[in-house]
Amino acid sequence: MTTASPSEKDLLIADLRHRLAEAEETLRAIRENEVDALVMRGSLADEIFTIGGDSESYRTFMEVMEPGAAALDGAGRVLYANSTLTRLLGKPLAQLQGKLLMDVLAADTGKQIEQLLRDACTARCTREVRFPRSGDIDLHFLASAIPLQVGTISGHAVTFSNVTDRVYNEAVEQSEHAARAVIDSANEAVLVCDRNGIITHANAASSIVYEGNRVGQAFAEIIPLDFHDTSGVLQADDMIDMVIAGTPLRGMEATAVNAPKVKDYLVSAAPLRVAGDRINGAVVTMVDLSHRKAAEEQQRLLMHELDHRVKNTLAMVASISARTAAKADTVEAFQKAFSGRIQALSATHNLLLRNSWSSLELRDIVRSELAPYVDDAADNVTIDGLNIAVAPRAAIAFGLIVHELTTNAVKYGALSQEGGHVAVRAVGGNQGRTAPFVVEWRESGGPRVAPLERKGFGHTVITRSLQYGGGGAEFDFDPAGLVCRISIPSEDFS
Amino acid sequence: MAPRKLFLYVAGQTPKSLAAIANLERICAEHLPGQYEVEVIDLRKNPKLAREHSIVAIPTLVRELPVPLRKLIGDLSDTHKVLVNLGIGSSA
Repeated sequence: MTTASPSEKDLLIADLRHRLAEAEETLRAIRENEVDALVMRGSLADEIFTIGGDSESYRTFMEVMEPGAAALDGAGRVLYANSTLTRLLGKPLAQLQGKLLMDVLAADTGKQIEQLLRDACTARCTREVRFPRSGDIDLHFLASAIPLQVGTISGHAVTFSNVTDRVYNEAVEQSEHAARAVIDSANEAVLVCDRNGIITHANAASSIVYEGNRVGQAFAEIIPLDFHDTSGVLQADDMIDMVIAGTPLRGMEATAVNAPKVKDYLVSAAPLRVAGDRINGAVVTMVDLSHRKAAEEQQRLLMHELDHRVKNTLAMVASISARTAAKADTVEAFQKAFSGRIQALSATHNLLLRNSWSSLELRDIVRSELAPYVDDAADNVTIDGLNIAVAPRAAIAFGLIVHELTTNAVKYGALSQEGGHVAVRAVGGNQGRTAPFVVEWRESGGPRVAPLERKGFGHTVITRSLQYGGGGAEFDFDPAGLVCRISIPSEDFS
Repeated sequence: MAPRKLFLYVAGQTPKSLAAIANLERICAEHLPGQYEVEVIDLRKNPKLAREHSIVAIPTLVRELPVPLRKLIGDLSDTHKVLVNLGIGSSA
């Protein structure tokens, strides 16, 4: 027997202490559940003993599951993922094991799974999650988590059931409902055809295009269209064929020859794509053009009328200019008389414009022409019985006549001195309904009147205007005051 | 200086083994970049290798150098404890 030296003893004791510490640490780790496998020394070879049983059984079970499935430890690390899930995540199992599941998912999806695991601490929890995919449609899954004991640790079993088809079918159904609601609420006629041109849907507004329910019948037979500017080359069936081939048509004017109510339409048609690029039919929109057509017709008439009136007015101005020049002694006299007559014409035009060129009351014309010379509140003019409307043609002529009478009265007649008076009143004609309506202009209290020695343009205007339909004007040179009777043809009364 | 080697003994894909691998990778990347090279030894594939470092419990992390040899048993979820045992910390 050999005896160890003191230094060897110290080393031996230190080694024993180290081994004892290591053994104690191993026991502590086993006791505190920090290990899940042990090395067993066999007589022939060492063996590995897994504490808590082998995990092969749950792996086999997960592998045969159709949904994606994973076993996670308490922190959310992947212990195992079946092949469905590894394919979905695009990573082999070796790259997933030990990683936090939340970290291998898209950020938002990871947060949803994190919350799901928190919620499933004691019982199963389920929620819908989305797997975004660049350049492709997103996938939707019903993720379900349930507490799971794996060996010595507590974790979760998580499954992912693909519900993408259901989600998209629901979305398609909802969008179809929305599309139908949009079509049904449209004011325009909207008709949907299948690839064979058969009407599959028509909204309520389509009732202006045809009578009854025509769903199930060929569009081109029910609604033959005559497209303007195509010389009859394009027909309704050509339009449907073009659209189904992928060419949309926008804003083509057409006449629906069989339509019961409205004939003129603005027709647009577009390919119907329910999903993907495949064209499933055509959507035809028909906008009622009757209002626009009517507006265009009215505009055309107005332009024609405006042209006519402008020409008439220019002719009248040329005539006034020529006749005023012929009778005027000086340039100043011409300027004064001419501008007064143009203003008289303008005053009547203004009144007509305010009434949209419909008609004017004689009273308003008289007041308008007297306004530059006579105060509205003055008592030297009385107007009586002239609240009767005349057409623009008579209004313009009557205005010129009153202007000439007014300027004459102001210069030479009753309105040229204090105490003079002009009475303008209706004196007969059954209110213009059957015979000409007669207006009398009677002056009094002015200078003594003598018959005219020289007839000026004013006289010409007064006597020659209204020379149609029994109309006209005549003078009575009563020494007490000028009298003029103006007959307005009955045809110019509304 | 060449990175020193750490040996992590695991038993296939047991939960603690997987956790130990993930935790050690994270700690090395975050706290010891470039200082250590990790060799994972799967004793389920080759149990004989347990004798090299007298491994009894799994998972176990072994640091050979600098001496003395250090062993740390468990899934290495306690980062501070791992750093202390690897010689990074106040009690190294």
